Amino acid sequence: MMPTFSALPPSVVVLSLGTMVLMLAITIKRSEIIDAVLTLLTLLVALAVLPMGAAPSALFAVDDWHRFSSALIILSSIGVLAMSWRDPTVREAHAPDEFYLLLLMSALGAVLMTAGRNDITFFIGLETLSLSLLGLIGYRQHRIEAGEAAMKYVVLSGVSSAILVFGFALSYAETGSLVFAAPHALHPVEPLLAAMATVLVMTGMFFKLSAVPFHTWLADVLEGTSIPVAALLSVVSKIGLFAAMLRYFAGFDLMTPGSVSDEVTAVALLSMIGGNLLAIGQTDLKRMLAGSSIAHIGYLMVALLAPGAFGLGSAGFYLAAYAAATIGAFAIMEAVSPNHTHLNSLQGLFRTRPALALGMAVMMASLAGIPPAVGFFAKVYVAVAGVSAHRDLLLAGLIVGSVMGLFYYLRVVRVMLMPATDEVSTGRIAAPGNAVLISALALVTLVLGVYPSLLIPRNPIHLGADVEAATLPVSTQTAIR
Amino acid sequence: MIALPCLVIVPLVGGLLAWIGGRKWPGTRVPWIASLATLCVMTAVLLDVTIRAIGRPGPWLAHFSAPWIPSLGITLRADMDGLSLVLLWLTGVLSFICVLLASRDETQRPGLFQFLLLTTISGVNGVFIATDLFLFLFFWELMLVPMYILIVLWGHEAREAAAIKFFLYTQGGGLLMMLSILGLVLLHYRHTGVLTFDYFALAGTAMSGRASILLMLGFFIAFAVKLPVVPLHVWLPDTHTQAPTAGSVLLAGILLKTGGYGLIRFVVLLFPDATAQITPLAMVLGVVGILYGAWLSLVQTDLKRLIAYSSVSHLGFVLLGVFSGSTLGIEGAVMQMVAHGLSTGALFAIAGSLQDNLHTRDMRRMGGLWGVLPHLSATGLFFAFASLGLPGMANFVGEFLVLLAVWHVSPVIAVLGAFGLVLSAVYSLTMVGRVFMGTRSSDAPRLPDFGFRQMTVFGLTMAVVVLLGLYPRPVLDLVHPTRPDVVSVLSQSAGGNGPG
Repeated sequence: MMPTFSALPPSVVVLSLGTMVLMLAITIKRSEIIDAVLTLLTLLVALAVLPMGAAPSALFAVDDWHRFSSALIILSSIGVLAMSWRDPTVREAHAPDEFYLLLLMSALGAVLMTAGRNDITFFIGLETLSLSLLGLIGYRQHRIEAGEAAMKYVVLSGVSSAILVFGFALSYAETGSLVFAAPHALHPVEPLLAAMATVLVMTGMFFKLSAVPFHTWLADVLEGTSIPVAALLSVVSKIGLFAAMLRYFAGFDLMTPGSVSDEVTAVALLSMIGGNLLAIGQTDLKRMLAGSSIAHIGYLMVALLAPGAFGLGSAGFYLAAYAAATIGAFAIMEAVSPNHTHLNSLQGLFRTRPALALGMAVMMASLAGIPPAVGFFAKVYVAVAGVSAHRDLLLAGLIVGSVMGLFYYLRVVRVMLMPATDEVSTGRIAAPGNAVLISALALVTLVLGVYPSLLIPRNPIHLGADVEAATLPVSTQTAIR
Repeated sequence: MIALPCLVIVPLVGGLLAWIGGRKWPGTRVPWIASLATLCVMTAVLLDVTIRAIGRPGPWLAHFSAPWIPSLGITLRADMDGLSLVLLWLTGVLSFICVLLASRDETQRPGLFQFLLLTTISGVNGVFIATDLFLFLFFWELMLVPMYILIVLWGHEAREAAAIKFFLYTQGGGLLMMLSILGLVLLHYRHTGVLTFDYFALAGTAMSGRASILLMLGFFIAFAVKLPVVPLHVWLPDTHTQAPTAGSVLLAGILLKTGGYGLIRFVVLLFPDATAQITPLAMVLGVVGILYGAWLSLVQTDLKRLIAYSSVSHLGFVLLGVFSGSTLGIEGAVMQMVAHGLSTGALFAIAGSLQDNLHTRDMRRMGGLWGVLPHLSATGLFFAFASLGLPGMANFVGEFLVLLAVWHVSPVIAVLGAFGLVLSAVYSLTMVGRVFMGTRSSDAPRLPDFGFRQMTVFGLTMAVVVLLGLYPRPVLDLVHPTRPDVVSVLSQSAGGNGPG
């Protein structure tokens, strides 16, 4: 391999190659089966090459954290792929081929983000992800709500990217480097400028993560898109961003009180409470899950704000638990009724389709943090991190938020327990891919709930050599410039 | 020793079998029989544990340990002492009442019903034996879900609100307990560098007064919700009233006892100093509960609600006994828990049977049942007497011991508590008068009385209540809760690590 490429994370290479091959394949012959197989193959190979190393560079950090979060991203993408295969809503107006292409590209962007050690590499990943998501959101272009969702997304995504880049610029002005790390970590000369830069970068990320108060777009966008894309938006893009955010703060002392840690704390609290409040009032499942995902981002920030072994470990575990349960919930919605996501569509599911209902109950239990689902241990783990860092306020928020969350997670279970309506569902059988996905996720959620140690590595996850990144020789930094 | 995990696994597996059986052969009694068989196996296991325990030297009678989540110091650890054993037997006896009496009549989806019932029992058994704090929390939360579904699916008119109230209160308490557990674990970690959730290791954690009070409060609130302690009792009357009969029996008989058990095991024994500091408050709350519950019982017209409020009153004695600071008090508290479990469980079963027949719980529309239902009425009379603390029955022993223990600490509280006994006589007799005595309207339909099956079950329960009332010594000797610094001989061979 050429030396230029040897620094690239191997999965990025595979995903980029896969994208190109897929594009070629589409130009030669449009066939959904070929597309799906190629996408699946690319993702599997990308997963397989994750353990491989790469030459050290100032642009990419190919470390354990990148491997872990990328594995989650790729697995989630496979989940979304399984969900969208034979999904009528995905290709009701259009040939489905580009859907797979965009799916692959969004996985590429997210994986790139988790490895980004430089502002530029991170930003390239972010924009790859955002632009492919835009295409996916607007994929059903004849639908008015898809257009609305795409418009909302493009405006807010653009604004947040602009804020983010402005933050990078300030950070560059302050430190003279484009290392992707909160500038405070690099011994600032001008503390105010450094803090402003950090706050702006964070704000940009919060927009994309849809943390309260930057969350308003999420529910509308999810409502307007097809279910697989909604799953992609609320899982893959959030894992990528959150993984990058952890890296951004890796060398930053969040424990000392200051404007930055205060802002993160405030946003975390607001997200926990605001997300749950948003979800409680919803009768549409997609909007409800939007609120739930906002709240979970809030819980995850407890792990972010608790640096140390527990923080990183619990963040990883929580991301995995969240991803499994959220994708599972979306997959079941897809299997029940792809077009009608009102809460009513689940009514009587325990009678009409008990296996699906049981799966949904498991997912809801996991999201609510009730044993034996994995979400219970994930919540305890995050709370361990919070307690270890004395985040009392956030822990109070976690508890209040969890109790609020019970309302709507249990409501889903209750609706499914209710007697079925007269118009008994058509008995539509879940597509095979989706059925496999649902059973796999339900199994994972339960098995990991009972044996969480399967997912806890013996050695704590390493978050790259961020210190090394901070002290990169000036020559490499100028080289990047 | 494999018997302890069996106590958890057997009901779970049996429940699954009952569920599958119910789906496979709908309309048959397969689930009911499977459930009964499961309980028999569970009782056999319990019997085995008991017989083995008789010759044991130490206070810890059985032990089990296996690795679970090593990186966080979490193990599957279970230990059983006399306290656990007594409460496990209470669970066993009451589960038979539930399955034999209450749940045979659940015709809708009986398999699922038995599954949920047995899962709850499995969680309760786990709570009574877990000595790893994470494992304890796991079981604590696990037993809520099946109970919630039981209430939602088979409850009465306002079941949904009652179920969600039950869940939110107990889950909120559970989350506070989670924080306390984690706080304790990390405090221990900071001092010793060992990350462990082991009850015995954590019992020796050195901590400042303020920290220990804060941590203790988390546990206390969780258990106070469950017991319940006024003012955290709000969920109880609604939940008990709306739950199906078996659910009410299970709730009143066993689930509430997990609160009392937790108070003894995880508040008094784990935080002795902090406990001493909040004793006055707990005593006052206990006596307030006794009087308030009794007072509200006086004015209820709903039979189940009356019994529910009487539970609040009776369990106030448990709180008093636990916090009296003496062995006598704890003995009394446990006796009261057992007696209350049996008598109130039976009363709920009777109330449920009445509701099935009369389609009302309103006592104003009952009356004169003695003539129509002599067996049922006599049983009801017996348990009403037991519940008001008639000497010669187990409840009397419990209440008397508690009052005796409290008298040494605070005579005022003891006197006030004794007033609760007077009030309980008033409401119990009022209930008997309204439901069983009086005249029955002539146009009332004929009702089926208790048959052989019910009378056998209730007869055996009565025998236990009277036996414990006349000769409580064996149970009282057993229930001396074992202090965590007394490490099990059984676990030492397995590398137990008590603080010494």
